Amino acid sequence: MAYLSMGEAHRRITEYLNRFSDAVSFQDGASLKQLLSVSSNSPSLLSLADSLNVFQDANRLIKQSEKYSQFGEIIAPFFRCMQSYRTGNLLDAYHAFEKAANAFLPEFRNWESAWALEALYVVAYEIRILAERADRELAFNGKSPEKLKGAGSFLMKVFGVLAGKGPKRVGALYVTCQLFKIYFKLGTVNLCRSVIRSIETARIFDFEEFPKRDKVTYMYYTGRLEVFNENFPAADHKLSYALMHCHPHNEANIRMILKYLIPVKLSIGILPKDWLLEKYGLVEYNNVIQALKRGDLRLLREALQEHEDRFLRSGVFLVLEKLELQVYQRLLKKIYIIQKQRDPSKAHQMKLEVIVKALKWLEIDMDLDEVECIVAILIYKNLVKGYFAHKSKVVVLSKQDPFPKLNSKPVNS
Amino acid sequence: MKFSLPEKKLPSKNTQRPAKRQHLAGGLNAANNDASSDSDKEQSLTAYYSSAISIANTPEEKKRRESRSKRFEKGQGHRAEINYLKQKNAGAGNLYSRRASALMISKSFDDSGSKAVEDIDWDALTVKGTCQEIEKRYLRLTSAPDPSSVRPEEVLEKALLMVQNSQKNYLYKCDQLKSIRQDLTVQRIQNQLTVKVYETHARLSLEAGDLPEYNQCQSQLKTLYAEGIEGCDMEFAAYNLLCVILHSNNNRDLVSSMSRLTEGSKKDKAVKHALAVRAAVTSGNYVMFFRLYEDAPNLNSCLMDLYVEKMRYRAVSCMSRSYRPTIPVSYIARVLGFCRTSDGNDEDSDGSGLVECLEWMKAHGACLASDDGGEIQLDTKASSSSLYMPEPEDAVAHGDANLAVNDFLTRTSL
Repeated sequence: MAYLSMGEAHRRITEYLNRFSDAVSFQDGASLKQLLSVSSNSPSLLSLADSLNVFQDANRLIKQSEKYSQFGEIIAPFFRCMQSYRTGNLLDAYHAFEKAANAFLPEFRNWESAWALEALYVVAYEIRILAERADRELAFNGKSPEKLKGAGSFLMKVFGVLAGKGPKRVGALYVTCQLFKIYFKLGTVNLCRSVIRSIETARIFDFEEFPKRDKVTYMYYTGRLEVFNENFPAADHKLSYALMHCHPHNEANIRMILKYLIPVKLSIGILPKDWLLEKYGLVEYNNVIQALKRGDLRLLREALQEHEDRFLRSGVFLVLEKLELQVYQRLLKKIYIIQKQRDPSKAHQMKLEVIVKALKWLEIDMDLDEVECIVAILIYKNLVKGYFAHKSKVVVLSKQDPFPKLNSKPVNS
Repeated sequence: MKFSLPEKKLPSKNTQRPAKRQHLAGGLNAANNDASSDSDKEQSLTAYYSSAISIANTPEEKKRRESRSKRFEKGQGHRAEINYLKQKNAGAGNLYSRRASALMISKSFDDSGSKAVEDIDWDALTVKGTCQEIEKRYLRLTSAPDPSSVRPEEVLEKALLMVQNSQKNYLYKCDQLKSIRQDLTVQRIQNQLTVKVYETHARLSLEAGDLPEYNQCQSQLKTLYAEGIEGCDMEFAAYNLLCVILHSNNNRDLVSSMSRLTEGSKKDKAVKHALAVRAAVTSGNYVMFFRLYEDAPNLNSCLMDLYVEKMRYRAVSCMSRSYRPTIPVSYIARVLGFCRTSDGNDEDSDGSGLVECLEWMKAHGACLASDDGGEIQLDTKASSSSLYMPEPEDAVAHGDANLAVNDFLTRTSL
């Protein structure tokens, strides 16, 4: 830190105070938001922090003039936050910011138009980021991390303020997305339900009015929730929406969407083109797709094992595992095609032992009972049309379309 | 354009009846980390969110917060909480009587029976026991413990041995173990003995089908293992996994339990078994399920017991749709685990498996018929529309299975 004189520190603090009160007087949301973005590490905020640490008595300056003191409840804790942030005291920084945020909210509510919405977004964003860092500090010191939860509670309050008839209501989706990020991080995604219900059923909200960026983020998270619930048609709808409206240059976001959309599409029988996987670096799905195309159960199982940790962490493991049935279907179809070539009149009857042999050839050791069970399940779930004759151990296939395609519908559960 | 989407309905598995021994299964979800139902409030939006703050500070929410933070922390937090509590304990000796009485006034003991011995704040009441009785009934402490009524560690070791070798019934052992647990807690003893006590109690609870008690022990064991104390952590990791698999309809819980397994634990026999059960349940592979049921390590089969009924129903439903024209009931009895024999093979030597299977089929609306050779067959086409899940005949009228003590008592022998 370069040497900073008391005089210079005093000047910089006063400059900040002036900018703050001017931003409010002139309803300049763009300026105000820059004055609050702690984690942006902007030079002006960092130098403010340095000045505060040198000057040490900023409260006196705030009280000097009514112009500043009217925002004292917000600025004083904000100053403390900057000081702690600068010295790496992230827990204290969070506490101070929380205080400032709680003072900011009623002021925001009183301001008539939605001019300060961007600033509110910054407050919402910062409280989450600072909470995450505070929790990391707590965990590092062996304590229980609970600041992110606190941030969540604050954001619920913000949501409440925005959930009204006025122009401020378009901000509600942004706050919702911040809440999603918190709940996903904490693993308490069940809490998303109530916010979703508010957005989707409250009459004051019209989904189309929300900013595009927020709609994409919203559909991404709600799409992921549908994946967890294995509600594939809905997941497909939402994730596809996110993909379609995502900015084409935003490759990182597209990749995130595809990571979930691909398993969903696979579950409804739609395979992606190879170049898509390559372009967005989603090579972990390569073998899964190969296995589906070839009816190669061994390859599917290998692929699931190889990337097990990754798939479990992202939560798509169970979705991919369920593809096994489609792989079995493909295998049976191949056997059927071969049989048809050899003797079309008998092709619709498939002996169980032939299937067992085919699996053995894939180095999968399953006995008659188990294969019979799998066949029963395939028929039950309409992946195979026909029936199984137990006595003769033969699968009798329907003469018409014995291996129906999924046609964008998931396998019956 | 208004955006709306129908809410997904809960899967019907929720309403099927629990297996026979599962009297006290109601409490199973209580100890699970995820409070899966948030409030379905009908209030207006702003009212909901302004009241969210008051909700945030109720005891239930505090408890939920605690368990949420534990998940976030992935084990670190447990250690943290133990250390934090230990610090608080410093200097308790001086303030002993004052703090003890202050605690008595401020605490409200929840006597619903579901509150664990360990939930009471023992920090200020730590005591060194002198009692020498090996056999001691459980008396919930309502005042500061008298050292002469608390047993020291050496005596508790003998007490545990006594319980393990005792021929008496579950209620007796449960009572004795609770008493041992209380003595350990009061003296803040957290070591291998403590682990052995909880493991013993957990196993007995599993065998007796007492899931709330099992859950209490399981959560204490989690903490103790996380502290690094040695015990049968693999055995219990498997039980834990099976609980999530067989009871939670929540895929997220399942996936997070699976992702938390270490590479080492995945190689353990019991855990491997539990994972195989998981795969069988997910895919509906009944042949695999009952093979695993037949050949289960430790007490994995006790937990699988709770799913046997559901799996059988799923299997027969599936078979009714896929097989034509009939299936011999003897085959069904074989693959659905009705013919369990002690020597491991599934030959139904005395025919009792077939009889049990026939009874089960009739109770579930299956259509049966004898063929020309006198063998009983399942008429699959007819059954596919007549199968149903019967109401549990031992359901308690008021709905709280925890209170069905009388029924429980008549089942255990003395």
